[in-house]
Amino acid sequence: MPNIKIFSGSSHPDLSQKIADRLGLELGKVVTKKFSNQETCVEIGESVRGEDVYIVQSGCGEINDNLMELLIMINACKIASASRVTAVIPCFPYARQDKKDKGFFDIPVDNLYAEPAVLKWIKENIPEWKNCIIVSPDAGGAKRVTSIADRLNVDFALIHKERKKANEVDRMVLVGDVTDRVAILVDDMADTCGTICHAADKLISAGATKVYAILTHGIFSGPAISRINNACFEAVVVTNTIPQEEKMKHCSKIQVIDISMILAEAIRRTHNGESVSYLFSHVPL
Amino acid sequence: RAPSSPPPEELTPPLYMNHTKGGLVIFTANSHASSRELGKRIAERLGVELGKVQVYQEANRETRVQIQESVRGKDVFVIQTVSKDVNTTIMEMLIMVYACRTSCARSITGVLPYFPYSKQCKMRKRGSIVSKLMASMMCKAGLTHLITMDLHQKEIQGFFNIPVDNLRASPFLLQYIQEEIPDYRNAVIVAKSPASAKRAQSFAERLRLGIAVIHGEAQDAESDQVDGRHSPPTVKTTGAIHPSMEIPLLIPKEKPPISVVGDVGGRIAIIVDDIIDDVDSFVAAAETLKERGAYKIFVMATHGLLSCEAPRFIEESAIDEVVVTNTIPHELQKLQCPKIKTVDISMILSEAIRRIHNGESMSYLFRNIGVDD
Repeated sequence: MPNIKIFSGSSHPDLSQKIADRLGLELGKVVTKKFSNQETCVEIGESVRGEDVYIVQSGCGEINDNLMELLIMINACKIASASRVTAVIPCFPYARQDKKDKGFFDIPVDNLYAEPAVLKWIKENIPEWKNCIIVSPDAGGAKRVTSIADRLNVDFALIHKERKKANEVDRMVLVGDVTDRVAILVDDMADTCGTICHAADKLISAGATKVYAILTHGIFSGPAISRINNACFEAVVVTNTIPQEEKMKHCSKIQVIDISMILAEAIRRTHNGESVSYLFSHVPL
Repeated sequence: RAPSSPPPEELTPPLYMNHTKGGLVIFTANSHASSRELGKRIAERLGVELGKVQVYQEANRETRVQIQESVRGKDVFVIQTVSKDVNTTIMEMLIMVYACRTSCARSITGVLPYFPYSKQCKMRKRGSIVSKLMASMMCKAGLTHLITMDLHQKEIQGFFNIPVDNLRASPFLLQYIQEEIPDYRNAVIVAKSPASAKRAQSFAERLRLGIAVIHGEAQDAESDQVDGRHSPPTVKTTGAIHPSMEIPLLIPKEKPPISVVGDVGGRIAIIVDDIIDDVDSFVAAAETLKERGAYKIFVMATHGLLSCEAPRFIEESAIDEVVVTNTIPHELQKLQCPKIKTVDISMILSEAIRRIHNGESMSYLFRNIGVDD
């Protein structure tokens, strides 16, 4: 009967450690380094022969380096006769470039949702949640937002960009009523944060009392942090699919939802051959 | 089909290009400007403009490649040289190749003068054969042909299921020796370790010179250390093993002190190798050769990686000149160390591209290449 072995890439060792802790395991021994010519070198430090291997690597930071590290680790485990190798990629890189190529894997993919963890956070941290309004910063996120709104039994709104003429700046139009409500912006990722900061301004000027932003992946590249510091958010909440410690030092509005238990539970269920779909609507304790 | 052109002893642009129905287009997928130099030179020799493409990194460090002309039905050549961000270089190339494939290019030939991760081509402990992974990724992305130069191990060609042309830089390096080293006839070709002895011999044969081989301590550079798997496994306890089944252990190799096999006294020493990266072993070899009486020391290598402090170490060492080709951009290193000289090999790459596009034989490019080169 194969055992679970969890290895961490260098992108997010903190999350990997949390996952291992929840499963009551030690992280597997692996050395990842770079030669002087910048080529990545990976050496697995223990036997994986016949084991069920999970490699945790997030698509953040130096994405190409982390991606190459992941590929080499997977390759090394396969060559070392692991029984099965599963990649755990909390934030999947290059996801935005091929919006149309969603189905290009030939292997099983479990795309987990942060939604249950987000709902839990809202109920525990926003006192006025029963009277709040969930807002999508663009038309594409409508489905995501209505799903949350329905589960909380609250209203939703969305913002869409209207381009009147070519060469004119897009106008942001709010669809829905946010007067005297606490508004919660929900999106899947926050990169340069231009869109959500504009959205927050829009909501305040439309009468919202407070604005929260809840985003699954906090990439925060370029001017993101300074934009958030200058915007009118009550809090900007992200999950820990991407390490946030450094950024939290520069921005006190950032709060983090820990999703390590979702990943740990997914690993446990996959290993035991149990259904993973339970995790689509429940947060493991 | 166009008739073969006469042997290109002297190539003057523009060359005769067979304009097939689709034509050809040459791209460089490098985001760093210095890495595009070789591509520009090759395009000039072929009398074509480089294809329009934008390659850059977004704020979140993802690579983006945007091709700005049609490649449908064309023979595409992607010239990619390795920059200091090797993983990004690889991604740029893969994305470019895949984009061309999904845009219906007729064929996609990768021109990678230095094939990255070629030093990781053997099993080390519980490692991965990264060159094989590279080969699989490139073929999967849509590469239909590969042109490269002086592969670290020729067996890497076998990792690909597409044709691979492993061109040689040696004719250019040999020409440099004959034209730029005045008393080269008093030289000895040196292998800095037994591993490069074959290469040294193939150079020496063509110049009608003798060879010398350095052997001894300070040999095991990390990259070529192959300990593979211990087979049979090292015996830990004797308890469970029946005495008659004990398998004899391999005697560990002795590391003798440094010695030079061959005479370099009163001669010019020319150390030849395929790659010069970490220069510790070259510097140590030069010291040894100086002690044994060599009065001038050259290092000739195809690929000048020259990472980190290499230029400084060379400057401070007993080496008189380091000659590398332009397979890898090294302008920065040249500024730091005037002992570094460059040999331009764009001619053979452009000739290879021309012949492949016209469907002509490549064998002319491999004449005068010994079996051991």
